[in-house]
Amino acid sequence: MATYQSRKSLDLEWIERWARRVNEDCRLAVFGRFFTSRFVLGVDETEYLIDVRGGKIQRISEGLTPNDLGFDFALKAPSSAWAKFSQKVPPPMFNDIWAMAHPLHKQLVIDGNALPFWQNLRALTHMLSLMRAV
Amino acid sequence: MNTHDPIVGRYVYVECEGKTYRTYYEENGEGIPLVCLHTAGTDGREYRHQLCDSDITANFRVIAFDLPWHGKSIPPADFYLMEDEYKLTTKFYSDFIVNFCRALDLKKPVVMGQSMGGNVCLALALRYENEFSALIALEGCDHSPGWWIDPLHHPHIHGGEVVATSVFGLMSPESPDESRWETWWYYAQGGPGIFKGDLYFYSVDSDFRDQVQKISGKLPIYFLTGEYDFACTPEMTQRTAEKVRNSECIIFSGGHFPTSEDPAKFKTVITPVLNKIVQNDPERRGQPAAARAANLVELRTMRASERSAGRRVVEL
Repeated sequence: MATYQSRKSLDLEWIERWARRVNEDCRLAVFGRFFTSRFVLGVDETEYLIDVRGGKIQRISEGLTPNDLGFDFALKAPSSAWAKFSQKVPPPMFNDIWAMAHPLHKQLVIDGNALPFWQNLRALTHMLSLMRAV
Repeated sequence: MNTHDPIVGRYVYVECEGKTYRTYYEENGEGIPLVCLHTAGTDGREYRHQLCDSDITANFRVIAFDLPWHGKSIPPADFYLMEDEYKLTTKFYSDFIVNFCRALDLKKPVVMGQSMGGNVCLALALRYENEFSALIALEGCDHSPGWWIDPLHHPHIHGGEVVATSVFGLMSPESPDESRWETWWYYAQGGPGIFKGDLYFYSVDSDFRDQVQKISGKLPIYFLTGEYDFACTPEMTQRTAEKVRNSECIIFSGGHFPTSEDPAKFKTVITPVLNKIVQNDPERRGQPAAARAANLVELRTMRASERSAGRRVVEL
């Protein structure tokens, strides 16, 4: 039951609210202006394709299709981990994607081409931290 | 009106492994020497609050130096001829700390280091226990794997931003924003490859898991780790402390950079430890505040009496 509740909080509607909050952020528009990428946000078995141009989210697609021609990188974690990550004050080991991805903790998997992930780490990290403002 | 911090900065020449290093350090206070070790890829500014805290500097001569390649300490003159990338080793790091203390003629200093500075305390206890009077390992443990990775020094990745951002989450979300972002800034200013090279020590060359049992216990070691530290978790510190004789372990609600990410919180955590060190070393503590005040009164009184009686002059 607990899993279902946290899963529901990260459904497409919730992701859309987060994306709108991202696009309102005036600082991201400056230091994220070179962040153009297509990345996957994996929540349990669901994959959301996030299309980012110039630091703004242009499109969210639930599920991948052959027409997407793949993606740059993916961040995949259980809904329980994302739910903790997106709390206003996240608990230890869930307050940061690198904390969740660190080999010691293994809550989050980074798939695909990690180069654009690292290149845009500051903007991406800020973008994800805005989940706490949804 | 100008306002200054009470910190004084100087350069000292330190020999290590056949080379001479022009080494920057800052200090303030009097009493027991307290040598502070910065984290990977940064510099002594991480201790700027402790250097200015009169409650600490009343009993401790607080000294924070920048390792070679860090802050205002330059690399060795021939660094451009190096055939390998920069890598900090356990031997160089621990030797350099000892040689720095000797260069300043410090007698039995206390060493306080955080992160890699915390881990190196174990090497100091193993190799140089007679040189020090106590060790304080902030965010330290016997093995911190996983950090020596290429993205931290890669020509296609902005080193400053990625290094700073990759450590940001090590801080507690409840630490003050201004202090967390100041710490981020320190990281963003490191030289290319220096953070990664320090992490060679941190994650590769400093695996003390099979050695810490050999620490004699002659030297008290205080371990302090914040609960948001995901590189050196509270459990990792506790497991280490259980194996180290004459050690104490304190877990607190902070992160990986306690001296700079939340100096006020850190003061509440470190004060009992510093008080213990002073109690164990009473002869070297600074003058108590009351005695300092009494001296001041005496001097002022003397000047007043001199003035009223006319100045006495002896001509030779």
